[in-house]
Amino acid sequence: MKRFVLGEFEEPYACVDAVRRLRESGVGGLDAYSPHPLPGIEDALLLPRSKVPLVALTGGVLGALGGYAMQWYLNSVAYPITVGNRPQHGFWTNIPITFESGVLLAVLSIFFGSIFGFFQLPRTYHPVFESERFRTASLDKCWVSAETEDEAALEELERKFREVGAHKVHSVAESV
Amino acid sequence: MAETASDLRAQLEPPPLIEGRHDDGTLNKTLNDFVWRRPPRGWLVLLLLGMAGTGVLFTAITITIARGIGMWGNNIPVGWAFGIINFVWWIGIGHAGTLISAILLLFQQKWRTSINRFAEAMTLFAVMQAGIYPILHTGRPWFAYWMIPYPSTNSIWPQFKSPLMWDVFAVSTYFTTSLLFWYIGLIPDLASLRDSSTSRRARIAYGIFALGWRGSARHWHHYKIAYLLLAGLATPLVLSVHTIVSWDFALSILPGWHTTIFPPYFVAGAVFSGFAMVLTLMIPARRYMGLKHVITARHLEAMAKVMLCTGLIVTYGYLMEHFAAWYSGNPYEQYVFFVTRPRGPYAWAYFTQMFCNVVVPQMYWFRWARRNVWTLWIGAVLINVGMWFERFNIIVTSLHRDFIPSNWAMYYPTWVDFSLLFGTICFFGTLFLLFLKFLPAVAVSEVKELNHELHGHRGHPGTEGAHP
Repeated sequence: MKRFVLGEFEEPYACVDAVRRLRESGVGGLDAYSPHPLPGIEDALLLPRSKVPLVALTGGVLGALGGYAMQWYLNSVAYPITVGNRPQHGFWTNIPITFESGVLLAVLSIFFGSIFGFFQLPRTYHPVFESERFRTASLDKCWVSAETEDEAALEELERKFREVGAHKVHSVAESV
Repeated sequence: MAETASDLRAQLEPPPLIEGRHDDGTLNKTLNDFVWRRPPRGWLVLLLLGMAGTGVLFTAITITIARGIGMWGNNIPVGWAFGIINFVWWIGIGHAGTLISAILLLFQQKWRTSINRFAEAMTLFAVMQAGIYPILHTGRPWFAYWMIPYPSTNSIWPQFKSPLMWDVFAVSTYFTTSLLFWYIGLIPDLASLRDSSTSRRARIAYGIFALGWRGSARHWHHYKIAYLLLAGLATPLVLSVHTIVSWDFALSILPGWHTTIFPPYFVAGAVFSGFAMVLTLMIPARRYMGLKHVITARHLEAMAKVMLCTGLIVTYGYLMEHFAAWYSGNPYEQYVFFVTRPRGPYAWAYFTQMFCNVVVPQMYWFRWARRNVWTLWIGAVLINVGMWFERFNIIVTSLHRDFIPSNWAMYYPTWVDFSLLFGTICFFGTLFLLFLKFLPAVAVSEVKELNHELHGHRGHPGTEGAHP
């Protein structure tokens, strides 16, 4: 069963600082929650570079190639329409739709890649929501959590949380 | 002397972006207050009026579909009239939303933060109105899906060399991008509505749309980049959309349409009218919704400056059109710009356009006009009118007198045309009122971030001090 120790912080900077100190003191499975992005939290949590740009690039390139190929195939091979003896394969006239389909696929891959892939949302349940006090995480407070499977470690973790200045320290367990 | 200098500095200092000191808690309360408050009577009255007008819209749509576009005033030669005027007008209005949310984000303009959500919603609703017209204008809207390349048993495919097909792709991509950009920005605010709701029903409703967002730092890490990339993609996209709309005209050989200045001039005109629409809606909304502390004189003034700037670009576009017509030596071009428009039967429309788009924005050179809500609001409404007449002149005036006088004919709109225009304005208003009531009209999480950035952290040492 997954267990989370939660601690609340008043100030974003105190929260980032606490995460750093907790990580340095060897606490694993850390995460922070805040109503807006916390400056410096990436360094405190040692987060790797985000892969979102890679997803966007892949989507954009595939979209543009697909858009161009579609126009070439449909207008030059599948259903050629001759107007004013213009060439069947019009490179210049294909540019706008190639651009649009590139943007469209890039946008779709950023959005759905982030939601489904990086955020693992939508989800109806997460153990941190077991705590009613945790509601302030999207309003005006910052929270830090540490995940553990070991029930015996909870007390020690809670002590460490208090040491770095967290209020309302408590733990929640995943309901099974 | 010292006093004069400090007086002068006080005058030159711009008004603040966020008035007064707030913390996250009070920002939550004040910015979301309108959502939780009982619907005020004025809002209900406006909503009812808007819904009545939406009824007019759907009646006009039904009549158009049932009896055909013969119910419109369109004729030969004026085959594109109100339908395309309104389409271009609404699409143009939408462009300010993307400009505010995406381009100003890339330029790191902090004043975009409290108005971006509002403007993005305006974009979405405006594009929805715009989409109605070309679909109806196809004449058989139930076959509108033929524009999508799908494998049919007839093995017939769209003609991708036509700017009208480019439009289909541009506008649908634009709508999708605007919707997703808006929604991804809404997720953290929906989560805060979920968490501050007092009723179970609201908590479930907002909870569903918040998708289970918990504000995790690991998510914010990707979120920031995703948001920035979406802005980066929306920026060239918005330029491409109105460029492609202008190609609908510029790629033909009709005098008055066949000109290379169209793409930049259309984009500037779009931003011009869009900012005018944002101001038209925002000035009353910020007052009645109690948002004056986050949408301050600074925001209004900045928007007035953008209107002035884009208004000058549009003016330059008008000058260039006339110059190019004269310089080309082409008698048909010259006839449109020097006879048909200023001296023809639609000269009143031409002078309305020139007055509203060229003369009116000049008042924003003066600070009193940029700081007074009345001059801002009246100017903005006039600019909206002027931009509608600009499209009227481009479309109707150019078409009604082309090359051979035997082709010439006058155009008169019918009551169905007017009902469609009036109806989309009401439908737009209705959607906007619902948005203001049920969703946070200001990007709360972004304002909180800005607030921390501007006012720092109360009673704590600086960032450097906190992280030795």
